[in-house]
Amino acid sequence: MSALSEPTRTPVQLSARDLTRHFVTRVPGRFVKAKHIVRAVDNVSLDLTAGKITAVVGESGSGKSVLARMLARIVKPTSGQLFLDGTEIPVGARRTLAYTSEVQLVLQDPFASNNPVHRVRHSLERPLLIHGAHKSEVEGLARAALSRVSLDPPDKFLDRYPHELSGGQLQRVSIARALCVRPRVLLADEPISMLDVSVRLGVLNLLKGLCDNEHLAVLYITHDIASARYIADETIVMYAGQIVERSFGTDLVDEPTHPYTQLLIASVPNPADPTSQASETKEHTTFAIAEAGCRFAPRCPHVMDICRAHDPPDFKVGEGHLSHCWLHANEPEAVVELAPEVRRREGETTKT
Amino acid sequence: MSIERLDEFRVSESPLTPETPEPTVVPAPANREIVLDVSNFSVDYGTGDATVRAVHDVSFSLRRATVLGVAGESGSGKSTLVYGMTRLLRAPGIISGGAVNLNVTSDDKSEEKVVNLVTANEKELRAIRWSHVSIVIQSALNALDPVRRVGKDFDEVLRTHRPDMKKEERRERAKTLLTMVGLDEDRLERFPHELSGGQRQRIMIALALALDPELVIMDEPTTALDVVTQREIINELLDLRARFNFAMIFITHDLSLLVELADEIVVMYAGSIVERALANELYEAPRHPYTLGLLNSFPPMSGPRRELTGIPGSPPDLSDLPVGCRFAPRCPYVMDRCRSENPPLATIKGSRRQVACWLQTGDPGVAVPVELSREVRVASDVRGDNS
Repeated sequence: MSALSEPTRTPVQLSARDLTRHFVTRVPGRFVKAKHIVRAVDNVSLDLTAGKITAVVGESGSGKSVLARMLARIVKPTSGQLFLDGTEIPVGARRTLAYTSEVQLVLQDPFASNNPVHRVRHSLERPLLIHGAHKSEVEGLARAALSRVSLDPPDKFLDRYPHELSGGQLQRVSIARALCVRPRVLLADEPISMLDVSVRLGVLNLLKGLCDNEHLAVLYITHDIASARYIADETIVMYAGQIVERSFGTDLVDEPTHPYTQLLIASVPNPADPTSQASETKEHTTFAIAEAGCRFAPRCPHVMDICRAHDPPDFKVGEGHLSHCWLHANEPEAVVELAPEVRRREGETTKT
Repeated sequence: MSIERLDEFRVSESPLTPETPEPTVVPAPANREIVLDVSNFSVDYGTGDATVRAVHDVSFSLRRATVLGVAGESGSGKSTLVYGMTRLLRAPGIISGGAVNLNVTSDDKSEEKVVNLVTANEKELRAIRWSHVSIVIQSALNALDPVRRVGKDFDEVLRTHRPDMKKEERRERAKTLLTMVGLDEDRLERFPHELSGGQRQRIMIALALALDPELVIMDEPTTALDVVTQREIINELLDLRARFNFAMIFITHDLSLLVELADEIVVMYAGSIVERALANELYEAPRHPYTLGLLNSFPPMSGPRRELTGIPGSPPDLSDLPVGCRFAPRCPYVMDRCRSENPPLATIKGSRRQVACWLQTGDPGVAVPVELSREVRVASDVRGDNS
């Protein structure tokens, strides 16, 4: 029996410390090619723990997908560290088979991420073969992977082509493909945004189930803050490459403290409370990111002088609840730059 | 292009001057409030044995300056419906029946006539499209020509439909339109790739409003945008609607958005309307199990976290529809009758709302579940009931 078919192993923690990725773009000019640095992800630290779902919420261009790709080691970080079970991973080096067998990525569009000329069987068996399973056992493992994502009976799906399946079914195949090498960390990059409303909950409940029953550590990337509230144990809001607010449980949605989170929440269609609709200034430029100071300052309704001059640190606004905003500088409890380890411990104690 | 083809082309360019009475033009009905009346409209894809009925016997009407929301998942026929209605459908799509009567007011507001878009010829359609009915198509982000400055698109529309406008007037109009949707005038000089998704969407909306149409059709205009931009665009649209009094058909799969935006909502499933009601009625007291399932598919933003189930199963294959009610295989309240007979869209007694479900026939032998028989809290009536 190979390592692939072993049952649940020890809990994992994938930790990122100060992950940063800058992209250099060239601004075309007549003679001088000026360089422009896009700070896609800046100093992001997070922990993915077994049996917990961490949600990253942000609008398009906030750097959330780059973050997932760095965690999957598809994109190399400009700086920062990655730890798997406390062991530092050399981020500059090529990713190894050992790493990908622990950490797997599910992409947004199942129609684009499944090869249209291959049957489902191929998508599931190939990673197994690459990861060292024996030819005689791959079919059984592929079947088991399909059952895990509730595609029953597996025989009905193994010999189908992607175009013969619906979006929801195909996204389950993508999840099965990621799961068949028995990773302990699943990175899901907007797994439901391309799916129909009626099947979205099915995929969300599947992720939740995998997390609860098989102790997977799940990173759930989304722009839909309501779905993050629905399944996440920790929620992180990103704006322009930075974490602007984070909390455990539903604190962040129930009591948002950062102006951007507040704007995000007020923008969600909420028929239950149609009076809560905030409206922003008419036109904003999505990438009007200040060079100095807080990146949200140009769009912020509460902007102060200090915001334009200095980037705020993370202020503690509740147990395990941090806000990257100067508005909270005067909170009695505010502790500047609380180390993530300390914060997690505090969050755990209050939640349990 | 051959000489004959050129002549044909010229004819279609000429202004609408019917020498003989057009059979499709009938005097305006008594109710001038109705902008659009669709009856028994059906669309097929393909012919012969391979025919798939994508829109099945759809009827509704739209009052002046109201918003009709069309909700449904992909493959429910909502886009096909509007492309069919506006005769924009491409082969293999065929309109297989029904009438789409549009109430057209002439430019000087002096006369009104009703045009059946299904039977109208190219010349009549040309006079109606954009001036009276305009459409903001899905993936509008790709609908702008990447090699032309945005201003050129405005210029072209105005030059084609308002040939007597001078160049400076067209320019002024384009600037006014941009200001209306909250963009700077200098955006006219930009190429589409220089604009963000939200800005391009605003351009599309401004273009749709260029000729002051009575009806604007929006096919998933905000689906590709993030929530903050979506909120801005929706607020913008409601504001414009109030100023210019156009009616709107808004298509989306996001029912929670429609509840906020629309006056009336039709829910489509597998090509048919399964429920039609005022927005607040639909939200507070859904009558069709599919509507209830859709409403329960959105995780709430407040209250305790509890497990939601959504709708089990997946949407049906239109080429292999189940016998009886199309929703029956996914319906938690399915009865024997549902598996053999397809329920008609019928008006619920004592209300103006319609539903296609055997649970709601008023038959005392059928026990209606509590969640499908809720009362509407406030019996508010949205504008328009002045008959």
